[in-house]
Amino acid sequence: MSETIWIHYARPRPHWYDLSDERQTALKAEWSASAERSKSVGAARVGAYHIRGNHDFETVEIWSFPNAEAAYEHWVRLTIAGYNEWFAYANNIGFGPIE
Amino acid sequence: MSLIPGATQVFSVDQLSTGCAVIFLAKRVPASPKVFGEAQRLAIGQVLAELADEGWQLSVRAMFDPSVAEPMVFDTGFAHNIDLAGVFEAPSVTAALEGTVRLEAAGWNRRFDTEWLIGPRELSTVKGIGDPVDRPWGFVAFWEWNDARTAASPEERRRNDADCDIAFQADLDANINMTGRHRTDWMHGWQHLSIWEATSPELIDHAMYEHERVLDFRFTTSRHYVGRRRPLADFLATN
Repeated sequence: MSETIWIHYARPRPHWYDLSDERQTALKAEWSASAERSKSVGAARVGAYHIRGNHDFETVEIWSFPNAEAAYEHWVRLTIAGYNEWFAYANNIGFGPIE
Repeated sequence: MSLIPGATQVFSVDQLSTGCAVIFLAKRVPASPKVFGEAQRLAIGQVLAELADEGWQLSVRAMFDPSVAEPMVFDTGFAHNIDLAGVFEAPSVTAALEGTVRLEAAGWNRRFDTEWLIGPRELSTVKGIGDPVDRPWGFVAFWEWNDARTAASPEERRRNDADCDIAFQADLDANINMTGRHRTDWMHGWQHLSIWEATSPELIDHAMYEHERVLDFRFTTSRHYVGRRRPLADFLATN
């Protein structure tokens, strides 16, 4: 197994909508910087996709990491930056690719 | 490995352990002996023996008494839509994930429909206060810090944590063993796991009243499983 796929479902928590546009933008920039750190150590962001029409969440975001520990550290950095305080989420991991 | 803070009066951050919980919530699948037979049972036994050699603990019991070697789970079928809930502890996240794949490949997937969760340990085990007793009942608790908690001020959270510690201290005074806390949020919707060992389901139910009284569930949304400890071998038997 040479790759860990990380699947992240998310939707804003209710109090996210009380923030000003400026504060939301600043927080998003902070989380983007955290994601860039993951890319710098070997992760690849496949992308984010809209899923509200067929799921409990608003978006699904998919990443590829070199191993499970790297996926774990990516998430820990986001939570240290407060991401989980503003967004509800559910995460999955998968090993592969399966031949 | 990075962990989040969360120590309280009752629970301390486990700085030493690199343990990683492997949680399995499983429902038995009706299958003919051709699908699951002695070959699969023996293969799973072989994988379990290898995992033990590699430093795994194969029961909640072993988290409190490492000399316990027999793989054990909690029999939950009487009260839940799963037949068993089990928790092992692996040496690392990768070892944990690879262990699930090895078990499934050995034939586990022919016997059980399983939800696997993986959670690095954050907080240490805490033993109940009182005479040594057998605690054959397990309480498996998953929870998330909900929207109400994330919207609360730091002071409100601190006050709620302190109030919850009153309930946790009462649990310890009732001679309940607690496994501390494992972190599952990186790969699941549930954020945390804790498992208790208790003398009876009635004691667990009684403890919940105190957790309700201190408003534990104001800031957490949870799922609880109750089951009686049984050897995993009972669920793998082919006769």
